Formats: sequence, C-alpha cells, structure tokens
Amino acid sequence: MSNVASGRPVEILLVEDNPGDVGLTREALSDSKLLNHMSVVGDGVEAMAFLRREGKYANASRPDLVLLDLNLPKKDGREVLAEIKADEQLRRIPVVVLTTSSAEQDILKIYDLHANCYITKPVDLDQFTAVVRAIEDFWFAIVKLPPG
Amino acid sequence: MPQVDRVAHTGRLPAESDGENPAGDNADWGAPELLAMLDAAGAGIWGLDLRGRCAFINAAACRMLGYAREECIGRDMHEKVHGRCANGSVSPREECPVLRVLQTGTGIRVDGHVVWRNDGTPLPVDLFVQPIAVNGLLKGLAVCLFDITKQRQAEADLERSNKELEQFTYVASHDLQEPLRMVSSYTQLLARRYQGQLDDAANEFIAYAVDGANRMQRLIADLLAYSRLGTRAKGFAPADCTAVLDQALASLKGAIEESGAAVTHDPLPTVTADNSQLLQLFQNLIDNAIKFRVEERPRIHVSAEQKGSEWVLSFRDNGIGIDPQYAERIFVIFQRLHTREEYPGTGIGLAICKKIVDRRGGRIWVESQPGMGSTFYFTIPMGGDGYEQRGVRQAS
Repeated sequence: MSNVASGRPVEILLVEDNPGDVGLTREALSDSKLLNHMSVVGDGVEAMAFLRREGKYANASRPDLVLLDLNLPKKDGREVLAEIKADEQLRRIPVVVLTTSSAEQDILKIYDLHANCYITKPVDLDQFTAVVRAIEDFWFAIVKLPPG
Repeated sequence: MPQVDRVAHTGRLPAESDGENPAGDNADWGAPELLAMLDAAGAGIWGLDLRGRCAFINAAACRMLGYAREECIGRDMHEKVHGRCANGSVSPREECPVLRVLQTGTGIRVDGHVVWRNDGTPLPVDLFVQPIAVNGLLKGLAVCLFDITKQRQAEADLERSNKELEQFTYVASHDLQEPLRMVSSYTQLLARRYQGQLDDAANEFIAYAVDGANRMQRLIADLLAYSRLGTRAKGFAPADCTAVLDQALASLKGAIEESGAAVTHDPLPTVTADNSQLLQLFQNLIDNAIKFRVEERPRIHVSAEQKGSEWVLSFRDNGIGIDPQYAERIFVIFQRLHTREEYPGTGIGLAICKKIVDRRGGRIWVESQPGMGSTFYFTIPMGGDGYEQRGVRQAS
C-alpha cells in the first residue's frame, strides 16, 4: 500500500457498460481492506472524457488504475486502450483489461496495444471476487506505481 | 452443350446371343473409329505436333474453350489458350509445362491450372499431358483437360461456410458468456447475501441454477475448443508417436496415478501429422480409457500396424466397453451414453478425436462389447499425403 499517499483512497476507473458487472465489481471491492473509490463510465467516449477531465468530468480525479471492458458502445475498449497508450499524460496509468472474451485474437491484439494485463472474467462469483481482489492487491500493494 | 448427332442406328439393343469377341480383333475398327472415340470423350483432348501446333482437337475441348475446330487445327495452342498465367501476366513459352513435355518426353499432371477461353474468360482445369510416340519416335503430345469450375465453386462455398462457422463460434463463445456470468454470479450473490434466511429448497434451487450456468459455460468452452481445431491447425510434419505418447502420459499423470492405470505400448512409428493435435488425440483416448474403467486396475495398450499405405494405431483398454449399436454415435459432438452422475463430461472428447483424424485424412472407429473393454483404432496415411497435398487450404 506504499504506492498510494496515506489517507487518500485509491482511485479506480471502471469502464463497463453492463450494470450487472458494475455491481459485481463494486461488491468485490466493497469489503476490501484497501480504501478505494471507484468511478464508473459506461462507454469509451465517456472514458476518454473522464481521463482528460473534459466537460462534466472537469473535476474528476486522475485514476490510479483503469479497469477496462472491451465491448463498449460508441468507442470500444480497444480504441480506448490505444488512445490511453498514445497519450503522454495518460500512458503511465496501468490499464487492466477485464473482459468476457477468451479469444486468442483479442488477447494478442490487447497486448499489442500495450495493455498492462488481460484478464478473462470468471463465471463463478467467488472466483470473480478473488480476481478483483488480486488486481487490487497486485497493483496497489505489490507493484511500484509511477509517482503521480 | 453436348452435341448429339443423329446417326444411322441399329434400332435394337445388343443381345447376349451376339456372342463375345475375346480376341478383340475388330478388324474394321481403325483410325476413324478411334478418332470418333476421342471426339466422344467427355474430357477436353487435343494433340500437338512437335512444333506445338494443334493436330487434333475433340468436341469437348472446342466446347470448353469456345472455339470451332477449324480455328484450332494447325494453330499454336500455347498462344491461343495458354499464353497468360492465372493472374493475367504473360506466360512465356519457355516456361510452359505443356510444351516442356516435348523437351523431356515425360508426361505430367498439372492440377488447378488456368487456360483461356475464346471470350477471354479463364477456365480452371486439371491438365494431363502425355508424349505421343510411335515406334519409339516422338510425334507430339496429347493434352487432356478436365473442367474443374464446379469443384472450384464448391471449394469456395466450403471456405465461405467455414469462415461463417468460425465467426459464429467466436460470437457464441464470447457473447454467450456474458449473460451466463450474470445468471451464475447473481444467483451466487443471492445465496451469499441471504445466507441463513433461505430454506433448504431455496438453496437447492440456487445450486441447480449455478450448476446449470457452469455446465453451459463448459459446453461453450468445449464448442470453442472444437472449432479451434480447424482455425488453429498447424501443418503436418514428422511426429514420433513414442514421444507423443510420453507427452500424453506426462500430462495425464494425475489421472494415471489416481487410477493406478498401466499404459504399455509396442514399438510406435513416426507419422506425418500435426504434432499438437496428435497429442490431443492420444490424450483424449487414454483419458477416456481411464475414465470409463471397471473396478479393476485400468490397463491400456497402444500398438501400431502398417496396412498398405497407412498406419493403423490402436488403443486397447479393459474398461466398461461400448454396446456396438452406439459405436458411431460416440463420435458425435455432445453425445453421451451415461448420465453426468455416472461419468462427468460434456461429450466432446471423441468428437475432437474424430475431427483431428478427419483432418489428417484418416478414419477412426471402435471395436468393443459391453464389459469386454474397447479398442479404438485410427488410421494415418503414410507420407505427407494428407489434405495439404491435395490442395485443401488450411486456415492459420
């Protein structure tokens, strides 16, 4: 937990259009030992606006981690990922692609776009919870994040 | 358009009483009759003299190419029908495989070649070219061509339909998972959140719902694995069956130790196959032999025998055996002979085996009696004479 300044909750941006998945992720993070704050946007256009603090997101805090779904309305996760990684201001934010697809072509494409990791959402609730916790543990307790 | 000329006819069918002519000395069958036979052939045939000029062309060839006979006789056939490659570029005389037969004196076969019709459209053909020698003296050559337009069309249809199928399986495997996860996860969440407040019946219902969702997910995963056999196929290369068997046993170590299975084998050959698919085939067959075991310790014996131009590999076990009436059905995807309580699984294993063997141009079958164990056999053509050599494209 040394990565995050003490007292400040870790900021997570969840880019996800399925309310069911938003609920599950929230559920998994809710009894986390780590103080966290999750913002949710439902499509790729909103995600970029949030990250660039445009319009209604002018006061949005910079996320410490982005959880990105792939199949999104308007602008899909692949485009969002490409834009984040092409943007000097944003490229250091770790992006975890968390998606239903286990198709090889998706996985290769996503790493080609410099995703920090690719995770297939488990069907089982306990496993899903474990995965979200593991993401949190890894990125906020183990990894040394870029100073921001 | 078949040209059926009206000719003077006998008006009757040949009768047995006409007798036989074992000497075959139809004294009145000479050059005109033989020419008429060539003309009647369904394949396109023409003959070239030593300078590559057309000396003879049959009706089928004229029809296929859209020329009248007079437009061909005496003409340079290379220029006329063969002067361009399939992509339209000029095909030089020196590189013409047909004319080269005049040089080498050795007959050839060219599959999937293109010749050009009078109207400028390409005609896909298989070509057979043979030198014509009379009394040991080369007189010219015979070209025989088969129109493969329909075959080409069928191949294109097949390819398109395969692509659609791949797309379908991708979509199915991806888009079907999401609602499934919702059903499963939220049912579990319900159980977790209301723990202690639900009665036994409610918990049982939840367990069924979760089990159903999990099973559905396995089916989808299996369907995906099945479809990937085609899309992720690699080429055929020499594969040492002994090494493949060792690898299969290593990956099944857990099941083998748990069941105390003894796997023995005769000397096994090196075959030409997709190594990773061969491994999967071995693994599935051994895994099944262990899974469908009787009380006693499973014994599995792998052997190989050369029969004609193919290898026949067999996997014999002492398991529960299979009623012969189901011998075909077990190779169909998701077909099962037992309840899930008796033996787990979706029924994908042997369907995968069959697809792997089919792809390799072999056959797979089982010989068995209930209670007498089973022997699974499959064949692998020797050499590289699988699909690839016959020109069926493999998706990568």
